[in-house]
Amino acid sequence: MNFGIWGILGLVVYLAALVGVAEIAKRAKRDASPSDHFLAGRTLGSFVLFMTLYATAYSGNSLLGYPGRAYRNGFEFIMATGFMISIIVVFQILVPKLRPLAVRHSFVTPGDWIRLRFGGPWANPLRRVISGLMSLALANFLLAQLKAMGDVAHLVTEGRVPYAAGVIGLAAVILFYETRGGMRAVAWTDAAQGIAMLVGLAALFAWLISEAGGLDEITRAVAIKRPDAVAVPTAVVCTNWFSTTALMGLASVLYPQAIQRIFAAESAQALKRSFAAMSFMPLATTLVVTLIGIAAIARFDLEAAVDTDGVVPLLLRDWGSAGGWATPAALLVFLGALSAIMSTADSCLLSLGSLLSRDLLGREGRDEAATRLGKRLAALMLVAVIPFALQRELTLWRLIELKMELLIQCVPAFLVALHWKGLQTGPVLAGIIVGTVFSVGLTFAGMPQLQGVHAGIVGCALNLFVAVGFSLASRGGAQAQFATLPSHSARR
Amino acid sequence: MTFRQRTRAVCFGLIGLLYILSVPWYREIEAPLRLWLGLPDWVAVALLCYVGVAIFNAVAWSMSDLSDTYDSSDGSDTANAEGPTEVRESTDVVHPTAEPRLPGSSP
Repeated sequence: MNFGIWGILGLVVYLAALVGVAEIAKRAKRDASPSDHFLAGRTLGSFVLFMTLYATAYSGNSLLGYPGRAYRNGFEFIMATGFMISIIVVFQILVPKLRPLAVRHSFVTPGDWIRLRFGGPWANPLRRVISGLMSLALANFLLAQLKAMGDVAHLVTEGRVPYAAGVIGLAAVILFYETRGGMRAVAWTDAAQGIAMLVGLAALFAWLISEAGGLDEITRAVAIKRPDAVAVPTAVVCTNWFSTTALMGLASVLYPQAIQRIFAAESAQALKRSFAAMSFMPLATTLVVTLIGIAAIARFDLEAAVDTDGVVPLLLRDWGSAGGWATPAALLVFLGALSAIMSTADSCLLSLGSLLSRDLLGREGRDEAATRLGKRLAALMLVAVIPFALQRELTLWRLIELKMELLIQCVPAFLVALHWKGLQTGPVLAGIIVGTVFSVGLTFAGMPQLQGVHAGIVGCALNLFVAVGFSLASRGGAQAQFATLPSHSARR
Repeated sequence: MTFRQRTRAVCFGLIGLLYILSVPWYREIEAPLRLWLGLPDWVAVALLCYVGVAIFNAVAWSMSDLSDTYDSSDGSDTANAEGPTEVRESTDVVHPTAEPRLPGSSP
């Protein structure tokens, strides 16, 4: 039996398991409230929470894109391990303040925080702008996952499943289990998908090391073939290294699906344990995929992998053709990659549904109708994104790159507003607009980086300057009026 | 400052230092290749820094005073802290009866 047939069998078993999990998750539902559907009734314990955080954090980009980047840029892409850890570091600024408030006020979406924290005539526009930025970032992310899903399904079955059928079929499976089981189904399947991803990566890396005769040999072979790949980075690359670490750390904590997992945790203890464990996962995942990409330098010519996202599939094809245990092991890695992609796509979709219904349309109800609206909007978004995903030649990558630049503009409204009482609504909105226009404008003008510094970082600095500066400037007036108002605690 | 808070502060300081050291800005670009742990030496240094960051970050998380219990004394319920005029406008003027605007807000 050849690899393609094994691929179809593996895919069928895997998808059947996902559907089964969805049915079990549906039976575990307590009610039809948004909190139960979108946050699993806030019952995620340490292990499931950890696995869902892990599977959601590591997307198709991590498993297919990062090895490609490492292949192209060489050892300097070790920076990816650092920026993935920086995300868990920055969560320490967000979680300890946000979690108690989320429990107290039963937050479901990030917009609930904005609704609580910011008032005045600019509060609704601010919430909508932030929700819009987050939705745009999520939609981009979802689109990238759909395209990657189609590619992997096509590759794993050696073309027996056409790209378009892969995109549509897998999207339908995601929609099914997400609609049936909500966050429970997503989190449980994430747990299984996370394990498949870890095992698959470890197996591929072990094979590469044993083939090459050790890490020393890989590095020496790379140094001979591509000396630039082992060279000490230039000053501009070092600046970009710092900039990327800051951009990824600050922006990634504001992914709505990540924030919603903070709300969905069973307890603060579960969150602490999960995040402590997550600190080490970049070493087990990002470092491994980086080294896989670097090992590929010695095996393939750069010209042979113009689309460097194809490095891992090329390696897997080599490995799978070795026969024996290598075929099912390579299949496991393929399914691991597919798992990573689907787990990110399902989380994006779930978050999009809740974000659109609660934060953009303002349906804040706790009843079944609100949940149903969220499900319908999620399905609508999926249907809207699929046509873009089907156009394989469509280059939306610049837009996808923009997602971090967009998300980082929400930093003042979350990371600063949680810690500083003086931050005011109008200045925050003005800052976001200034920062976003600057970052997007610069990126579309063909200058996504200034001497290695991302446009998003410069935009965020401008954003902070406006938000903090104008808040400080208007502080005196606000304090004068405060004296005439009844205290909020009294009103509560 | 409690022991836990001091420990966290030290961890964050070390994390910052390790991030600065992880980037080889202080190395000569033309330096010859030297292997360490099977990797170019500047990569091995970066990697060891990241292992250190992961350890100190995990320690900082375990020392975190993260709790589900809301503590109003730390001012984190920033609805009270928001520019008060704006909150008033939001709750008393724009939505006169809408004080518990968040579903499930505590009375």
